[in-house]
Amino acid sequence: MLDILIYGAVISAVYALLAVGFTLIFGVARILNLAHGAFYALGAYCVYTLTSNLHVPLIIAAIIAVLLVALFGIAMERVLVRPLRRLPPLAVLMMTLAVGLMVEQILLLIFGSEARNVPSLVESSFNFGGVLLSGQRLLAFFCSVAILGGLWLFMQHTRLGAAILAVSQDPEGARYMGIPSDRIFSIVMGLSAAIAAAAGVLVAPFQSVIPGMGLLPLVKAFAIVIVGGLGSIPGSIVGALLLGYTETIVAFKASIEWSQIVSVAAVLIVLIIRPAGFFGKRAAF
Amino acid sequence: MLAWGSLSKTDVIGAIIVIALLATVPFVGSRYIVGIMTVALCYAIWATSWDFMSGLTGRENFGHALFIGTGAYTAGFLNVSFGLNPWWGFPAAAIVAVLFSLVIGIPTLRLRGPYFALAMLSGAVVMQKLSIIFSETTGGQDGLNGLSPMLRSQVSAYYFTLAALVVTVVILKLIALSPWGTILRAIRGDEATCQAAGINVNFYKISALMISAAFAGFGGALYANYQLQVGPDLFDVALSINIIIMVYVGGMGSIYGPVGGALLLIGLTEGLRSFSEYRLWVYTLVLILILFFIPSGVIAPVWVRVRSWIKSRSAIFSRSAGA
Amino acid sequence: MSALLEVEGLTKRFGGLTAVKNVSFALQPGEITGILGPNGAGKTTLFNVLTGFMRPERGTIQFDGAPLIGVAPHRIVNRGLARTFQLTRPFVGMTVVENVVVGCLAPRVRAEGHTEARARNMLDRVGLGPKADLMVDALSYGDLRRLEIARELVTRPKLLLLDEPFAGLGTSEIEPLAALIRELHKVEGLTILIIEHRLREFMQLVRRVIAMDFGEIIATGTPGEIVRHPRVVEAYIGRGGDDLEARLGVATESVRGTA
Repeated sequence: MLDILIYGAVISAVYALLAVGFTLIFGVARILNLAHGAFYALGAYCVYTLTSNLHVPLIIAAIIAVLLVALFGIAMERVLVRPLRRLPPLAVLMMTLAVGLMVEQILLLIFGSEARNVPSLVESSFNFGGVLLSGQRLLAFFCSVAILGGLWLFMQHTRLGAAILAVSQDPEGARYMGIPSDRIFSIVMGLSAAIAAAAGVLVAPFQSVIPGMGLLPLVKAFAIVIVGGLGSIPGSIVGALLLGYTETIVAFKASIEWSQIVSVAAVLIVLIIRPAGFFGKRAAF
Repeated sequence: MLAWGSLSKTDVIGAIIVIALLATVPFVGSRYIVGIMTVALCYAIWATSWDFMSGLTGRENFGHALFIGTGAYTAGFLNVSFGLNPWWGFPAAAIVAVLFSLVIGIPTLRLRGPYFALAMLSGAVVMQKLSIIFSETTGGQDGLNGLSPMLRSQVSAYYFTLAALVVTVVILKLIALSPWGTILRAIRGDEATCQAAGINVNFYKISALMISAAFAGFGGALYANYQLQVGPDLFDVALSINIIIMVYVGGMGSIYGPVGGALLLIGLTEGLRSFSEYRLWVYTLVLILILFFIPSGVIAPVWVRVRSWIKSRSAIFSRSAGA
Repeated sequence: MSALLEVEGLTKRFGGLTAVKNVSFALQPGEITGILGPNGAGKTTLFNVLTGFMRPERGTIQFDGAPLIGVAPHRIVNRGLARTFQLTRPFVGMTVVENVVVGCLAPRVRAEGHTEARARNMLDRVGLGPKADLMVDALSYGDLRRLEIARELVTRPKLLLLDEPFAGLGTSEIEPLAALIRELHKVEGLTILIIEHRLREFMQLVRRVIAMDFGEIIATGTPGEIVRHPRVVEAYIGRGGDDLEARLGVATESVRGTA
């Protein structure tokens, strides 16, 4: 019971990190970013390259990785996505998909298909009432919570955060108020990429780092955001908790295979029963 | 976006030439080529059926493999587990695919936004995972093997697939040119305006999805009966995406364009066989280039150009002949 | 004679905001009536409720002797109540005549057949005949308004709701459109309900004006009476809102911005 509680908390925190960025860019720019998983994979691979090939200290490597992926996100929005915004929304969706596939292929060409190892920042393990938890998982949990808290403070207490919230609630109104939505789109894409990369960096030590590692997190982010309601940040955190715990329970009580199906099945069931999610506004006329 | 609203004598002649060229493949090509082409024709059926729903109405479907896979597995079960004649697989596959389209389409097509696309995507993934979890009945990763063949020779299978493709394209194109097609294209334009014109938008969207699913399921059964094997890769996201890329290359909403897109991309894949690790690269690169420079696609717009060139030529010819 | 449209106690809320508040009015067959009110007065919401795009919290709507609440938008059109939108959204990627053909395919009139001929006739009537085979993307804003009216007219409505038909039009485009609306009313006897936020257009066009503010009906009368009605004056002038040209500019901007 306690093991489910603890492992579920770690997974939920990482999932929340993935989902928040995904829902943010949808809420602000109406972009369903299929390259979101690529940001996550890039974060992990950046840390790997910096630590194993360039022997950069782990903490500095992590910071550099997050910044590089943020820049990548901004560049992608500027160069590849923005020119397509006049076309039907499917074009943007396809472009983010193409970027996701491209990143996976590039990683495959450079690093090959075998799994890479990233060292843990905290090597020791901790014992919680009989449940053994590795230090890295504990770190992942605390960092995730800290990043989410930081994001909340940023959104609530800075001008830029307020502008982002304004654009996500009413894009046209925000434009009339003189908020430059193009710049906001870029910034949010960078922010979303950075948060996803941070998730990749945090889990890299206890996950296998392979080129296709971004696909599953993308599906999870989808699922969480659908459960929580597209575009809603609190919804995505609640969705992450729901999904994280359901998966952990299924993994402990049934099998890992069934736990893999939880997220997609949740998407399907929610879409069929309550398509706007449990916390989102119903998308209607 | 271009409108594909008319069918002229030139179109019919062009189609006949293409069909004739495809019909000569078994005479000039090796067994290997005929095999590749049969698969390419299956892809063409899938791409065309995708285009009918998503190209015309603009409601993107990211999990067409759901219909293909359910169709293929239906045919496989009937054949392997129940020992039925392979021909029963076709209507059964179409019906099962239509049932799946109703379960996903009715709740999600009413809503705006990406819900339908996501539901289709996850539907395909769920089926793929289920086919692995229930491996005792589905054969898991290996899938169902040893379907009894419906046609003796490979060449007759090729011609049967070609005939199926021609029938599919003709039926879907005729619907697209009819008032139904006009309404579907209007839905792509604006749903609220369409309702204000008295059109039951949901009815048309759901029926378009049902038709699309029926042909995709049928194509899945065709593939299963040709390969004599079905596997979880028929539910794969990559398959759905390849189909969308083929439609993009062919020209969305044209119905016939995706056939060219499928043949072109499968040809390209085969040409790059020795560089197989670069294959997905090529697909993605093609996709990015098309999105950027020719969002209306290649095959259908090229044909529209050729057609107007022929028209202007024949106009000059008849004028000089008359003078 | 019994009323064609009878609205009783209609209320529509969005969260804490009451967009339409206890609205009641009736339209007699053959009448041409205007709904006047500043932006945000609840006019478009009223239209959305009448045409089934939104469901009201309270109230009843009787159209042609049958209730309308809970009926889907396309069914309402097929009962003979058609509408235009404030922001015209044509079917892009199709020709002008194809846009009107879609209206001819509504179940109410589909059996008449000859869809293309009917569509072309209607385009001739609204003055778009020569542009029938252009792509809609090539039309000017005024032409798009005419196109929208043509698409609604082919469904043979008994009542036509026009949502700010003059918004975003230049002065040279307003008069021909007003003439078209007058003709539809006089020659066909079509019942018409028009939304406008400016009185000027109404003076020549309608007999009766229903003035709204903050979701409520504040006055009813002839355009002449409405102009002097103290609550209307307060609603408009009290808020410094009679700078009509400036507002027109805003309207044009918002249309371009979302196109």
